[in-house]
Amino acid sequence: MSAEPLGPRKVVGTPVARPHRTAAVQTYVPEIARGLGIVMSHFFTNTKEMVFGQRPDPSTESVEAGINTVSYPEQKRPYPARFRGMHRLTHREDDSPRCVACLCCSTACPAQCIHIEAGEYPEGDPRRGYERFPKRFVIDELRCIFCGYCVEACPCDAIRMDTGIHAAPYDSREQFIFEKDLLMSFTGRDGSTLTQNPRHEPADTTYPGVTREKGH
Amino acid sequence: MSIIEVVLMLVKIVAVILAMIMPLAIMLTWADRRVGAMAQDRVGPNRAVIWLPTRVAQGAAVGPALGVAALVAFLAFGYLAGAGEPPTAEARATGACVFSHLAIFMTWATFAIISGLVVNRGARSSFDLWIKGFPPRQIVYIGFGAHALAIVLASAFSGTEQGLVLRDWGYGGGAAVLIFSILFGAGYAAFAIRNEPRVGLRLLGLPHAFVADGLKTLWKEDFIPPNADRFLHSLAPFISFFPALTVFAVIPFGDTLCFGADARGHLDITRLAHMVPREGMCTAGALRLQIVDLNVGILYFLALAGTGIVGAALAGWASDNKYSLLGGLRAASQMVSYEVTMGLTLIGAVMVYGTLRLDEMVRWQGENTWGIFVQPLAFVLFFASAVAESKRIPFDLPEGESEIVAGYFTEYAGMKFAMFFFSEYIAVVSSSALLAVIFLGGWNLPFLYRDGFHVAIGGAAIWDQPLSHGFVIVLGLLAFMLKVVGLCWLQLMIRWTLPRFRYDQLMRLGWRKLLPASLVNVLATGLVLMLVQSSEGALATSLRTLCDVLAAVVGVSMIGAFVWLVVFLLKPTRKRTMLASSSAQFAAQMGGTHTARMEA
Repeated sequence: MSAEPLGPRKVVGTPVARPHRTAAVQTYVPEIARGLGIVMSHFFTNTKEMVFGQRPDPSTESVEAGINTVSYPEQKRPYPARFRGMHRLTHREDDSPRCVACLCCSTACPAQCIHIEAGEYPEGDPRRGYERFPKRFVIDELRCIFCGYCVEACPCDAIRMDTGIHAAPYDSREQFIFEKDLLMSFTGRDGSTLTQNPRHEPADTTYPGVTREKGH
Repeated sequence: MSIIEVVLMLVKIVAVILAMIMPLAIMLTWADRRVGAMAQDRVGPNRAVIWLPTRVAQGAAVGPALGVAALVAFLAFGYLAGAGEPPTAEARATGACVFSHLAIFMTWATFAIISGLVVNRGARSSFDLWIKGFPPRQIVYIGFGAHALAIVLASAFSGTEQGLVLRDWGYGGGAAVLIFSILFGAGYAAFAIRNEPRVGLRLLGLPHAFVADGLKTLWKEDFIPPNADRFLHSLAPFISFFPALTVFAVIPFGDTLCFGADARGHLDITRLAHMVPREGMCTAGALRLQIVDLNVGILYFLALAGTGIVGAALAGWASDNKYSLLGGLRAASQMVSYEVTMGLTLIGAVMVYGTLRLDEMVRWQGENTWGIFVQPLAFVLFFASAVAESKRIPFDLPEGESEIVAGYFTEYAGMKFAMFFFSEYIAVVSSSALLAVIFLGGWNLPFLYRDGFHVAIGGAAIWDQPLSHGFVIVLGLLAFMLKVVGLCWLQLMIRWTLPRFRYDQLMRLGWRKLLPASLVNVLATGLVLMLVQSSEGALATSLRTLCDVLAAVVGVSMIGAFVWLVVFLLKPTRKRTMLASSSAQFAAQMGGTHTARMEA
C-alpha cells in the first residue's frame, strides 16, 4: 500500500483544448443561419421528392444523401423472412391440425400462455395410443413474449410463427385469446396452411410408430 | 365622402380580412405543420380527406377548365362574334406574346405532369403508353426550347411583313392551343379517374387545417373553470384576437389606384387610368390600397401590439390556475420587454424616412432604396423582437409546455383556445407585413416605377418597358404578398430550427443585448444622417448610384433564385437499389412499399 500524496492529484494524459468562445459562437448568429440552411435544404428536398413522386422506396432503395423515412402506417416495410409473427397451427392434408397434443410447447413456454386440452382418438383408430389431438388449443397473445420456444419445442412442426402478422392492437383482453379455429385459419407467408415438412401417417412406411407395431 | 367611397372602404376591410389575413393565417397553421413534416420527412397532416363521388370529381376537373377556356376564347375571339371591337395592332402584339407563351407553358406543363404520373403509377391507356416514351424532364427541356424559339422568332421578325403574319399566328394559334391544352388536361384527369369508385380530395392536407381542425373547435365544449372569473376569462381571447386583426388597418398593401373623377369630383370606379406619369400622385379619384392612412401609422401599430399583452395577462389571471398565472406573467413581462426594443428600432427607420405614415415610408423606399439596406441592424433587431412578440418558438416561454402545461391558455378549450392560437398566427402575418412595409420596400420591385420598368444605373438607361397602370398595381400587390409570405415562411423555419430559450436568457437577450443595440442603431443612424445631409452634391450622386446598384443586386438575386429553383427541380434524384435483406426482397416481390397509397 503506497501512501497517497497530499494535495490535488496529478492529472495524467494530454489536455483537451476547450472550445474557443469566439464572437461568432457567442452571438450564435452564424449557427442560426447554418441551422436554418440545414432545415431548409431538408424541406426543399423532401417536398420536391414528395410532389414529384421521387421519394425512394424505403425498403428497397436509398438516396445517396439524405434520410429515408418509412411513413408508417401509410407505408409499411415488409417483415424479414424469419420474423416471428402471430402463431398458426399447421394443417394435415385432411385439414385437421398436425398437433398431437404432446404439451411440449406449453411446457417450453416461459410465459405460460399456451393452454391445451388433449383428446383421445376413438377406439379402433390406428392413432389411438400413439398420439392425441387438441380438443382446445388456446394462446393468450397478450401474454406471449414472441420468443419462439414453442416453435423450437414442437416435434411435429405443428405450431409456427411465420404468418407475418404482427401483434395487433385490440380494444379488449378477450380479443387477444386466440382459439384453435382462429389459429388454424392463419396461413404462412406463402399462403399455405400446410408446411413443407412431410407428415408421416400410420399407413406410411416412414411412420415412426412402425417399429413398435411390428414388435422390433 | 361619397357613398361610393364608403362602400369602397367596406370592400377594402372585407377584402383584407377575407382575402389576406384569414387565408394567410389558416394557410400558416397548415404550413407550420406541413413544413415541420417536410423538414423531418414525415407524412404530416394528411389524413383528413373529403371523398367525392367520381362524377362530382370529374365535374370539378372539367367545369372550371371549361370556364377558363371559354374566358380565353372570349378574350381572344370575342370580337368575331360581335362582342366588342377588333383588337388594335398593339393589343394584337401583346396578345400574341401572352397567348403563345401561355400556350407553350400550359402544353409542356400538362404533358410533363401526365408523363410524371404515368412513370409513377404505370400506364393505363394507349395514350399513357405513348407518353411514357417522353420522360418528364425531356418534356420540360422541349418546353424551354419552344419558349426560346418563340422569343427568337418574335425578335427576329419584329417590324417586317412576315412579323405581322407571325403575330396573327401567335395570336390566333396561341389562343387555340391554350384552349386545347386546358381542355386536354382536364379531360385527361376526368378520363383517368373514370373507373375509381370515389376520389379523395386531399389537397396536401389542407382539409385537415380547414375542416378537421378548424370546424372541430366550434363543436367542442366551452369549458370555464368553476372558480375562474367568468367575464374576464371570456373577454381575454377577444382582447388578444382583435388587436392582432386591427393592425392591418394601417398596412398599405399596394400603390394608390388612380381612377377618373365624375362631374362632382367623386371617384368614378369605371374609369381606371390607363397610364400614369412616373412622378407625382393622382389628383382626383385616388383609391389608396390601405384601409386608413393614419398620420400616426406606426404608433398605432405599437399601441395595438401593446394591447395584446393585456389579453394574455388577463387570460392567465382569470383562469384560476397557477400554471396559467405563471404563463400570463411570463407573457406580460416578455412582451413588455421586447416592445421597448421594437419601438426603439423603429426610431432609426422613422429618422431616415422622416415620416410615421407607412405608405410614405414605402414611397421613400421606392425613390431611394429598401429599408434593409439603410437600416440592416434595425431589420435584424425588429425581426427578433417581432418573433418574441408573437410568442412563438424560440420565444414561447409563456406557453412552455414542458414547464407550465400550456401557459396562459391552459384553461381554454374550443373556439376560445382557437382564438389565442389564431391570434398568434395573425401576429406572424402582421409582423411580416410590417417588416415588408418598413424594411423590404412594401409593394416596390427593383426598377418598377408607376409607369413601368426603367432599369438604369447612375443615369445610364439599360432597359425600358412601359406598363399600364393596372398591371403595375397588380405586380405591386403580388410583390407585397410574396414578401409577406416569404417572411412568414422564414418565421416558420425559425420555429422548426431553434430550441426554446431559458427565461433568464430571454430577459438578458432583450434588455442587455437587443435594447443597447437598438440604442446604438439610433445613434449611428443620427450620425450618418448628419453626415449625409451636410455633405455636398458628389456624395449625393454616388449614393444615388449606390441605390441603383443595390436595386440591381436585388433584381439579379431574385432572378438567380428563380433559376436556382428551376435547376433544383430538374436535378435528378439518384437512388440506389439494395436487396440485401429478406425484408427488401419481400418488398421488391410486392412491387415495393413505395406504391402504397396514403389512405385515411
